[in-house]
Amino acid sequence: MKKINLNTTVVESREQRLGTIVAWDGKASELSGASQYSNGCGSGKGCSLCEMRGPFSQGSVCSEQMVECQAGHIRDAVLVQHSPIGCALGQVDYNSLYRNGLAMRNLPVENLRVTCTNLIESDMVFGGANRLAQSIQDVFDRYNPKAIFISTSCATAIIGDDIDGIASEFEDRLGIPVIPLHCEGFRSKHWSTGFDSTQHGILRQIVRKNPKKQEDLVNVINLWGSDVFTPMLAELNLRVNYVVDLATIDDLAQLSEAACTVGFCYTLSSYLAAGLEQQFGVPEIKAPQPYGFAGTDAWIREIGRVTNREELAERYITKEHARIKPKLKELKEKLKGFKGFVATGSAYAHGLITVLRELGIETNASLVFHHDPVYDGGDKRQDSLGFLIENYGDVASFSVSNRQQYQFYALLQRTNPDFILIRHNGLAPLASRLGIPAAPLGDEHVAVGYEGMINLGETILDILAHRKFHKDLSHHVKLPYKKWWLEQADPYILAKEPDLIEKN
Amino acid sequence: MSKKIKQIAIYGKGGIGKSTTTSNISAALVEAGCKVLQFGCDPKSDSTNTLRDGKYIPTVLDLLREKPKVDAHDAIFQGFKGVYCVEAGGPAPGVGCAGRGIITAVELLKQQNIFEELDLDYVIFDVLGDVVCGGFAVPIREGIAEHVFTVSSSDFMAVYAANNLMKGIKKYSNSGGALFGGIIANSINSPYQQSIIEDFAQQTGTQVVEYVPRSITVTQSELSGRTTIEAQPKSKQADVYRSLARRIHEHTESRVPTPLEIDDLREWSAKWADQLLAMESGEVRGVQSNI
Repeated sequence: MKKINLNTTVVESREQRLGTIVAWDGKASELSGASQYSNGCGSGKGCSLCEMRGPFSQGSVCSEQMVECQAGHIRDAVLVQHSPIGCALGQVDYNSLYRNGLAMRNLPVENLRVTCTNLIESDMVFGGANRLAQSIQDVFDRYNPKAIFISTSCATAIIGDDIDGIASEFEDRLGIPVIPLHCEGFRSKHWSTGFDSTQHGILRQIVRKNPKKQEDLVNVINLWGSDVFTPMLAELNLRVNYVVDLATIDDLAQLSEAACTVGFCYTLSSYLAAGLEQQFGVPEIKAPQPYGFAGTDAWIREIGRVTNREELAERYITKEHARIKPKLKELKEKLKGFKGFVATGSAYAHGLITVLRELGIETNASLVFHHDPVYDGGDKRQDSLGFLIENYGDVASFSVSNRQQYQFYALLQRTNPDFILIRHNGLAPLASRLGIPAAPLGDEHVAVGYEGMINLGETILDILAHRKFHKDLSHHVKLPYKKWWLEQADPYILAKEPDLIEKN
Repeated sequence: MSKKIKQIAIYGKGGIGKSTTTSNISAALVEAGCKVLQFGCDPKSDSTNTLRDGKYIPTVLDLLREKPKVDAHDAIFQGFKGVYCVEAGGPAPGVGCAGRGIITAVELLKQQNIFEELDLDYVIFDVLGDVVCGGFAVPIREGIAEHVFTVSSSDFMAVYAANNLMKGIKKYSNSGGALFGGIIANSINSPYQQSIIEDFAQQTGTQVVEYVPRSITVTQSELSGRTTIEAQPKSKQADVYRSLARRIHEHTESRVPTPLEIDDLREWSAKWADQLLAMESGEVRGVQSNI
């Protein structure tokens, strides 16, 4: 793997660094075999993992929104969106997530501080630099932030506004980090490049260069989920440094002081964790993700090894196995015979499928929104898909689809699950209309660790309890597809035979 | 610490002899033992042709069009005495955004650490002239070139373009952008042409780094697909280019120029037009009358 390059302000896109794809259909084992961890075709120079290319895209998310939900959720910073006003649409959603997240963590609830330069026609013609300069000054005067992030937009990237120049000018003038985040939607086919962009800016301009080591501090890269890591890591006498969402600038600055870095999902944590290891010497935990017994055991053991707490780790593992197993047995009884479907981000889905299988739920199908053939750390021990297959068996229908509703419909038809697990709730209403209840995992930590198996099992029982509501709904709605598509067995037929659009 | 790479951008109005001059500078520098990469930033993508026997090379943006994952090494080709050649490339005339093309191509090479990896002494950007949008200003921004030179004749349109470039440089100079090294006066064969360009340099607080005469040797060399340095190494013209390269090599301090405001520029050119007219009609004689 190439090292992360912090010399330039612009992050390399996921597809360029990792060979990310957004469409694929087949068995999980086939995808894993073709990926870089298995030295598959996705690892060769100039060759990338085969990707299906459809004739159109029905939905996606913008990298800039990922910047909003990370840089925009730092408690004592401000994000300036240098864009026309349409890009600011996400502020509504991300404000609710921010407020909920603060409440879940018992932090004072407040509105997010994201502001938009609201570029108009004349700015496109004459350049938007003056508006950006004014907005930076305005938010500084209004909020007195510890740092100001600037997100770029397609519009500013095309006209070539010199955002880096303005940022360094204001950094000197204001005496706080002013961080340009290049996250134009067109820059990458997958939105997760937006995570990387935020993390790139943090690594370049916020993380402390001369750290004083804190040997009991563990960086946890997450979103806004509930605080499940503190009790877990407290068993090893370790403290948690949650980043990026809901963190303060000081939490981010001390990233370089921690003993190690972990995450709940390699899709999210890949870039920041690898950057901290390569550029600041903070080891990234090289282990499967903390889901199910096998994953959590290996994860805890590796943290124990890296932080010299092996004995505490073993004691915790033994204790938790004894505590969880009887509860799990009860849950398995109740969940027997049900069929689940996971539709989430990539690495997170690998974790959730393991938990479903621990719960004895048949999970032969899933949908991930993209696939990274490797993560930035490049270590085989982080191969989350390979780990799933090796320890919990293959997934017969493992689809990569970038939030395409029409494909999701056909995928659900193909597998006919009793419920779905989902985080990006835009797809959940479709499942409801097909009579399938969805567990919207707003709290991304719900399935983490030993307790996560119980949490997820109980969540599933809750949603199964209102199956009738969804069934009733399905009897009273009509889907917007033609008969031809409603009866179509192959969700990817249009990628294989685009001419069918004209014919049907 | 790796050594400091001297990064230079050369701008000028289209057709003024920018690529010819740049390629000869590159050739003279490699001849003197420097490791040089010439980066053509013009959608025509012919900046480096005379360094490679008149042949076109695939551009960075060609690669981007073809492959989902681009290895920037595939866009680097070697030419005369090992000089590295890269062409940004760009869209066909009338479509897309050539400025964005330059941003994308320059970023790609920077992200892949190419300049450091090749252990270069020089990166020379050859950029299409008028700085019409933000994209064409990329090489003069913070963290890319430090010194900017412009190729200009005494022709007023070329001087306008040079003045516009200076405006761009002045604008970015507050935020760590490149500064102005000087004017390379091209196609200067008579004293009055020299006077015009000298006067312009004085007005804008800049300097003329070299006077390059128009010469049939250059045309002959170009037609054979080579630089003058390569095709006619013993010619007087080749020595002019070597002298220019030496001056650029020795150049260390660039400055913020003081471009003329549009009305002043008009007034300045009107003054020269009157003088030229007077010379033509025989009212003025002397050194400057040698048209």
